[in-house]
Amino acid sequence: MTSTRHTIHIAAADRTLVSIKNFEIPENKITLLLGESGIGKSLMSKALFGLLDPDELSVRIDGEDSAKYLTRAEPRELQQNGFFVFQEPSTHLNPLLTLKSQLNEGSLSAAPNEAAILSELWSGAPADLAHLLEVYPKPYRPSGGEKQRMLLAMAFKKIDALIERGVATRELFVFDEPTGSLDNAYRDIFLAMLLDRFRRMKFTCLLITHDYSMIGKIFESHADVVSEMSFKEVVLKGEIVVQEEFDTGAYLKWLGGLRPSETVPQGRRLLHVESGAEVFGRRLILSRSRDGAPTPLELTNGELLYLKAASGTGKTTLVKLVMGLLRSERLTAQVGDAALSYATHRRFWQRHIWGKRMTMVFQHADEALNPESTVKGVLAALPSSRGQGEAYFMNLLRELFDVDERFLRKKVKHLSGGQKQRLNLLRGFALDTDVLILDEPLNGLDFESAGKVIAMLRRKQEAGKGILLISHNEEIFDNIVRPENVYHLRAEIIGH
Amino acid sequence: MTNQSHLPRTLLRARRDLLWLLVWIGGLIIVGAWDFAFLNQPALARLSRAVLNTLFVGTFVVCVSCLMGWLSGITLHALSEARNTFLYYVLTFLFNLIRSIPQIVGVLIGYVVLTLLIRADVLRSELSQLIWMGSVISVFVFLEISDLVRERIQHFKNLDFVDAMLCCGIKESRIVNVDILFKNSRAHLLHKMISVFGITIFLLCSIDFIVSVGLSTDVSLSNFPMTLGGLLAKLDSKQDILAISSAFTDFGSIGALFFEHLQGVSTAFIIVFTLICIYNISNAFVKRHRL
Repeated sequence: MTSTRHTIHIAAADRTLVSIKNFEIPENKITLLLGESGIGKSLMSKALFGLLDPDELSVRIDGEDSAKYLTRAEPRELQQNGFFVFQEPSTHLNPLLTLKSQLNEGSLSAAPNEAAILSELWSGAPADLAHLLEVYPKPYRPSGGEKQRMLLAMAFKKIDALIERGVATRELFVFDEPTGSLDNAYRDIFLAMLLDRFRRMKFTCLLITHDYSMIGKIFESHADVVSEMSFKEVVLKGEIVVQEEFDTGAYLKWLGGLRPSETVPQGRRLLHVESGAEVFGRRLILSRSRDGAPTPLELTNGELLYLKAASGTGKTTLVKLVMGLLRSERLTAQVGDAALSYATHRRFWQRHIWGKRMTMVFQHADEALNPESTVKGVLAALPSSRGQGEAYFMNLLRELFDVDERFLRKKVKHLSGGQKQRLNLLRGFALDTDVLILDEPLNGLDFESAGKVIAMLRRKQEAGKGILLISHNEEIFDNIVRPENVYHLRAEIIGH
Repeated sequence: MTNQSHLPRTLLRARRDLLWLLVWIGGLIIVGAWDFAFLNQPALARLSRAVLNTLFVGTFVVCVSCLMGWLSGITLHALSEARNTFLYYVLTFLFNLIRSIPQIVGVLIGYVVLTLLIRADVLRSELSQLIWMGSVISVFVFLEISDLVRERIQHFKNLDFVDAMLCCGIKESRIVNVDILFKNSRAHLLHKMISVFGITIFLLCSIDFIVSVGLSTDVSLSNFPMTLGGLLAKLDSKQDILAISSAFTDFGSIGALFFEHLQGVSTAFIIVFTLICIYNISNAFVKRHRL
């Protein structure tokens, strides 16, 4: 892999998807590529790796049509010597082959250390790993985390083969959101494995992520390789994507400067949720510490609460129960003076809760917004926007966007993932409800936008609103939420 | 310059549904011009009336079915959300009852009632009779649109965006009508409307041909408003159609088909040509909008 700057232009039938003039992956370095979700990081990397179908998309690399680019030696060598770990593990695995067969497909069969790699990725290889390897991948099995670790194992096998050969080749290892389905402990294991191999031999690697917490972890535990790494960010400037150096110092300084809000809660109870809500045969237990005694969740005005749990425990399910979007088998909650239970009729939430006392911002902006609606349409649909003109909507947008009036007429389906997430958040913030529930609010945001969102959270707190947060981004939220405001959630199977 | 001159062609190639619509309209205009030049005046008047009446019923059925389909779809959705199971099951049973009757049989029964109404002198004007015919067909096709409306609502209810909008205090009626049906289902509904139009033309022509034997001694096709099916069932049209088969054995008579047997040949051509065009418009529409 030679570190040249590439011009890449990718277009669908009706519009340009990505256009960049300075896409660069430095040779023999690990490049951490950051940037808002949906900006085109994956597409650019796939184009360079020769993975985009020229029949489906119009792709030009360095002024050359992709069909011609694919005939060159570079993409063939990158594919042969390197590996591409896709963002969505399910799309990478072949449902017609067992995991074991896929781990030994093609050039992977000659790669060493399979057992050691699996053992590391499974923290000591649990007894049922052998059984797992015989599984044909299905949408529900193995779990998202297991599928992701299986792909990482394949990539590490190829890296180990490269190290064993010890001969310089043109290679590229792309890890596209490699920790998206992993919790923080496995994220740390992955980083340690990757950087340990990098210490042994320098290779070219692109690590695509919008999880800024990786930076903190690298500086904290792997400071010795920081100088061998490259931190870059892609940002959208007008219609063009630009790759810039990422200022890690500024990020770490910002992170270190985060403090809980000085706002003193005024003690008026806004939300009360009893521990022990039951749904889908599981009981959801709230506590103050990871395995602590059950305790109710209490949110008063001006307070910011943080609900933590391992992935898949049921954090989103619990807030959906409280919001009346799911039917529970048992629920005791109170919003202001309104008591809620499993028997409360949906009409009650419609008349008294939704958009009046409480609102919720969903975690996947892609699904939470109507793709066929315009930006203005999303905001104009809110009850609080009735009769408002363009000036009002522009004022709202300026909180999180630097755009002009034309942006209001843009369809949601044409926004980048980060823009969708900001619009999704803005819709929740625009409502003046007492309680605001935010599910993974920093998903897909760059750190500048994350900073703006946190500033907005502070203003809401100062205005006396209560906020309940769900996020896996502990590095940031542990800094802005007081320890006494952290709740943990765990699930028990009813009857056990 | 070259690009500009190719633009309409490229546009039509990309929008083949539009191309087929133009082919249909163009075909009808050419047939109309030919008939205007060579068909005798009384036959031309009958043919024009038959075409207009058929198109009127088709359009009427599309409009009424849309309204009934939307109303029934929305009502069933509202009843299921409100958990009003009794009314929900009563309506569902009623709709399933309609669904269980083959469309052609249902429309035939409607024609029997129409015959009785004409005999009783209740429906006198041609317009009221056409409206009756259209209404009867609507009753047996509106469920196509009703099912689509419910299917679209159900599909989007499973996505987060409906719940996310509800949580913002946006009324469910607005979400369903504006965000689901108008913004996300226009193409699906338009496609269904094209299909309903095609079904109506087919049903109307088939039934009119069937009832050409006469439904009573007092009421027959001669009392019914003229439609393409009715005109095709007339004796002189049938003779024109028979002339087509004789042209297979007597090639010399082919030319006569286009001058002496125009009423039957034109009617048959318009029916078949219209159905082929609607079929192609519908298919191209599905492809263009990736439905």
